[in-house]
Amino acid sequence: MEIEFQQVGKKYESGQEALSQVSFHLRQGEMAFLTGHSGAGKSTLMKLIMMIERQSYGKILVDNVDLRTLGKAAIPFHRRRVGVVFQNHQLLFDRSVFHNVALPLQVSGADDSQVGKRVRAALDKVGLLGKEKLNPMALSGGEQQRIGIARAVVNKPQLLLADEPTGNLDPRLSAEIMNLFQEFNRVGVTVLIASHDLALVARMRHRVLTLNQGRMVNDGGFS
Amino acid sequence: MAKPTPPSRRGATRQQPAGGRKNPWIGAERFSLSAYLRSHQAVLMESFSRLLGYPLASLMTVFVIAISLSLPGGMFVLLKNVQSITDRWEQQSVITLYLFPAQEDTEALALSHQLSGRADVASVEYISKEEGLRYFEQSSGYEQIMSALPENPLPIVLNVIPKASVDLETLPELQSLRDQLQGLPQVEYAELDAEWLQRLATILNFGQRFVYAISALLVMAVLLIVGNTIRTAVESRRDEVLVMKLVGATNSYIRRPFLYMGFWFGVIGGVIAAICILSLTWWVSSPAQRLVELYQAGFELQSFNAGEIIMCLTISALIGVIGSWLAVSRHIRDIELQ
Repeated sequence: MEIEFQQVGKKYESGQEALSQVSFHLRQGEMAFLTGHSGAGKSTLMKLIMMIERQSYGKILVDNVDLRTLGKAAIPFHRRRVGVVFQNHQLLFDRSVFHNVALPLQVSGADDSQVGKRVRAALDKVGLLGKEKLNPMALSGGEQQRIGIARAVVNKPQLLLADEPTGNLDPRLSAEIMNLFQEFNRVGVTVLIASHDLALVARMRHRVLTLNQGRMVNDGGFS
Repeated sequence: MAKPTPPSRRGATRQQPAGGRKNPWIGAERFSLSAYLRSHQAVLMESFSRLLGYPLASLMTVFVIAISLSLPGGMFVLLKNVQSITDRWEQQSVITLYLFPAQEDTEALALSHQLSGRADVASVEYISKEEGLRYFEQSSGYEQIMSALPENPLPIVLNVIPKASVDLETLPELQSLRDQLQGLPQVEYAELDAEWLQRLATILNFGQRFVYAISALLVMAVLLIVGNTIRTAVESRRDEVLVMKLVGATNSYIRRPFLYMGFWFGVIGGVIAAICILSLTWWVSSPAQRLVELYQAGFELQSFNAGEIIMCLTISALIGVIGSWLAVSRHIRDIELQ
């Protein structure tokens, strides 16, 4: 999946301008990092791609479709093509690991026989195959983050978005998580990761987009 | 790639990825009717177990529904029985015609013949002024006063006996016959001897409207109660709703378990209401039977029949779903990702 921002801005009702004049183009199968201090607009940019927020001006193209042309009813179907991982894992603690990961499949009406296979494949990818019956509460922070990743990829999305996926993990676990994203990217998934861990980002040697006070100040190679 | 417009059927269809490259992480799901139906079945069961998740709130909601439905249901059964008693009360009715005092026997006899020829009249009894006087003197004890009068003040009376026996169904028919006879030029006053029945009909009519009004109020109360319970349930599952929205659930998908929850509230409340009414009628049946048999033989107290039980359950299930719908559709819209 490819994403293109053309002079995109987002003003909140409070008058705060979270993004202004942002332009970039993420190609099919590309992997990039989005950095900047907190409040620079990283999360807002992610929300615009997920259609959680709408831009105030400019144009966002996802696979050459202008997101402004999509109505409310199209939003769920747009979101099914995108996998998201958040810092606060957004896991549900009233059900097992299996059912957490199965949620996107159930929501999109997948066949039961498919659900089991896909969930196990996704859990296998993140190395949690033996823990499907456990409650996420029983797992460590790093493992919980991997459940979130399994849930994000179980639907075989063409785009993976991650907002601070290594937020409160130690460096070794962070590197593991980043390697996972790299693996998904290797099989053709477009990946965009928001992170303020500059050292880690630099080690990954991918394209880096830097936001500062809502403006794109750097778009290029790793710094 | 085409833009992801929602498919017309609820479910999922996904576009094939652009480009020919086969990618294990890019797949396509097809809409499957059996999966759709199975998911409904699963939600039906799951929503039932959700009720057990809040046993106290669910129990209270169910009982409030049951009580609210028992009340109009019980009144309905009561009305039905009163109606059935009066329907079986086969009794000849009489329309008494008091002719103008100036009417002479010959004209009155002609009228009497004319009336007895009518299709809706069984017979006509002719009471001349003299017969009337005799009858009056015998029965009233006013002999002296009557004999003191210079002349007989009583008019000729025709007792018209209609073919139809009088009950609640034939009452309007008889009333219109009375009105027709009142319209005859010879008749000063026509009286239908069914005043008690008219009163009863009025009371029943009043009772019916009363039941309708009470039912309407209670139905509204039930809608509010179901709505409130469901709203609490949605609120307690706020996180789940948010995650489902994030991974691409449609509002109708999110709504579904809550609608089924309302359905269960309604059905279980309806079953309890039906049981209440059946046991109540059973409880009062023997004294009621004795009471009615003092006046009339062959009375049997009626309760809800099978059709009415099904009707009661359907209505209560519908109320549950509608109450839930009202609460859930606006509430789910309000829960938005931030």
